[in-house]
Amino acid sequence: MRAVYALALLLAASVAGAHKASDSYLQITASTGQLDVRWDIALRDLDVALDLDSDADGKLTWGEVRAAWPRIEAYALRRLVIDGCPLASVGRALERRNDGAYAVLMLRSTCTLPAGAPRISYGLFADVDPTHRGIAKVQRAGEKVALSVLEPTAAMAGVTSTAASASDAASGVSTAASTAPASIDRPSPSVTRPGRWEFLLEGVRHILTGYDHVLFLLCLLLPSVMRRSPVGWQPVERLGAAVWPVVGIVSAFTVAHSITLGLAALKLVSLTPAFIEPAIAATIVLAALDNVLPIFPVRRVVVTFFFGLIHGFGFAGVLAELNLPRADFAWALLQFNLGLEVGQLVIVAVATSVLFALRRWRGYPKFVIGAGSLVAIAIGVLWLIERIGNVSIMPV
Amino acid sequence: MRSLHALTGALAAGLVVAFAAAAVNAAPITPTLDDEVIEVLPASAANREDRQLRKRLAARPDDVRLATAVARRYLEQARESGDPRFAGLALAALRAWPDASAAPDEVLFLRATLEQYLHEFDAAVAHLRLLLARPGSERQAQAWLTLATVLRVQGRYAESDGACRAIVGADVYQTACLAENAALRGETAAARRSFETMLAARTLPASTRGWLTTSLAELEERDARAGAADAAYRNVLRLGPDTYAAIAYADFLIAQRRPAEALTVLKDEARTDTVLLRLAIAGTLARSAPATRDVAEMRERIALANERPEASIFHGREQAMFALVVERDPERALALARGDVARQREPLDLLVLAQAARASGRREAIDEARRLKSSIGLHDRRIDALL
Repeated sequence: MRAVYALALLLAASVAGAHKASDSYLQITASTGQLDVRWDIALRDLDVALDLDSDADGKLTWGEVRAAWPRIEAYALRRLVIDGCPLASVGRALERRNDGAYAVLMLRSTCTLPAGAPRISYGLFADVDPTHRGIAKVQRAGEKVALSVLEPTAAMAGVTSTAASASDAASGVSTAASTAPASIDRPSPSVTRPGRWEFLLEGVRHILTGYDHVLFLLCLLLPSVMRRSPVGWQPVERLGAAVWPVVGIVSAFTVAHSITLGLAALKLVSLTPAFIEPAIAATIVLAALDNVLPIFPVRRVVVTFFFGLIHGFGFAGVLAELNLPRADFAWALLQFNLGLEVGQLVIVAVATSVLFALRRWRGYPKFVIGAGSLVAIAIGVLWLIERIGNVSIMPV
Repeated sequence: MRSLHALTGALAAGLVVAFAAAAVNAAPITPTLDDEVIEVLPASAANREDRQLRKRLAARPDDVRLATAVARRYLEQARESGDPRFAGLALAALRAWPDASAAPDEVLFLRATLEQYLHEFDAAVAHLRLLLARPGSERQAQAWLTLATVLRVQGRYAESDGACRAIVGADVYQTACLAENAALRGETAAARRSFETMLAARTLPASTRGWLTTSLAELEERDARAGAADAAYRNVLRLGPDTYAAIAYADFLIAQRRPAEALTVLKDEARTDTVLLRLAIAGTLARSAPATRDVAEMRERIALANERPEASIFHGREQAMFALVVERDPERALALARGDVARQREPLDLLVLAQAARASGRREAIDEARRLKSSIGLHDRRIDALL
């Protein structure tokens, strides 16, 4: 059984080098009272449209393809009309071609194709790859095979009307007629200008709008202007007494997230967002809980360090979106990280000042620490549920 | 009229191949077990970050930031792998803006860049001009540079100069852009000096250094200074892996009748169509053992691509090189090369046309190549030697 698996892998790997544009192949055979269509569609293309790879491991197994077959048929049949002949599925197969595995749909109609060139409306993959084409070979009894190239039209694919009206002459969506640039082009270098701090700004932007990171920091800061005493929370006297614990906590967080951000950016360590995102939510819940009811057996600085490691992986997640330039990767990464720290210092400075001003208020322990932490716990729990269950509850 | 002729010729040739290869290497798969792997998807299909980005884009297709991030990733993959499907996926990521005139700057720029990748040069120029006519275009250094590049590929050097001059705030790129055109026109000494001055700067990023050195190598190659070209190519490849430079160096080595060295230069490159073509050509010339396999595979890939009839026009250059050297079919090579130069007029395109014209022994084809070269204003001693 393992041998079968290995052989299949080997087979698939051996053709992986063949690169061509996305084509489907239609063999249309028409005779009186019968129309047969054999339609070969690449599984790789179907995966983009229908997410066939249900376990997201980068491999399509027979089980996954079999389970998805009804979806494949439904998707494809909606996107092909031949002279108004209703097509029904009568069989299926798989075929290996030079550029990968294809699903083969056998379709039939009891329709007689009118004389002349058949009118074929074709909309396959119009929504996922406008450069896709259908290569149709039409065979009528006693005639030569006629070849035609079908361009997917958005109207057929049932996409929104704005996309369907894409007909301006300069619209590249419909102009790309052939797409296998067998030639390699000289890429223009990316214009980088020294002295620009775009990734620094990205870092600042990310931390200021990364509500989960902000909330986590706030949870840590809430009690920083107080100290625990036998008679409950007591305000600190001088600013210095509040600043040093804050510096310690912020430094621990910074060092920790810089480590994991760097490791992830260099692709040395990779953790799935499916784990990291809920874990970040959990750090908020635990940090807030500790404000209400001490739960950590070690000093907060140590806990902050460990939680910071987790947040660093979260920061790394946005790196993908930012597309750091490969040529000056280290510099861009440094900028991004510095940006995070600048943004973080702003948050910390503002929050600490406000909290310090409020510290002598009698309601501080009850409302700021207590109620504030409870709100943070509630938000953290909701995020946790959202991120584990992949559902949407909150606006951010 | 002549180019129409060439197009029909190439199209007819493509059709013949398409029919000859009716069922290119298709074999039924009959899986029996559910866990049997039918297909291995490209790495990005399983990449979690990519999947997440795509999922978010599906929910918000008109989010400019997301759409351009997805399109950029696909474009990068298209360039890295030579797999044109990724360019199609990238275009689809931008489909919320079908009307180019209303598309945000970044979307329009990416679309033009994808068209450049897909060799839709006229569309790319039209979109870049549309973008650069907008207010604030002086900040679009990258777009001006891309426009200059596309115009250069089309052999429109004077217009390319204009685009180069509009690159402001990025001196090295403007200078290099103009020097590149100057070199193509034959202002060789000045261009060489210009490149050498820029390369003398110590603070140059490695990517820019590689780019400038490649330009210098190509300049020396066109100027028939083999020793200098060889040294420059080797300098580029010492900076790190660079597929474009490796292929250009392999072409140079093949032209220098050093096919065995060309095979060595390419041995670590992924077997994309472009690389495989050179392996097939160099292997044939060097009579190396794996050449038979490479030739058969390349022949198969060409047949496969040509199932889409217009493919032979779009890949005329490569198919002409294959027909000329491997298949020893100068007539077909000439038809393909003629179709190719109707769209794309880089020195290599004209060189292949000249080689095919020379091999076919047709007087009028040689004249045609000579006329085209002088109408563009290209300086290339390799071509002069053939005409």
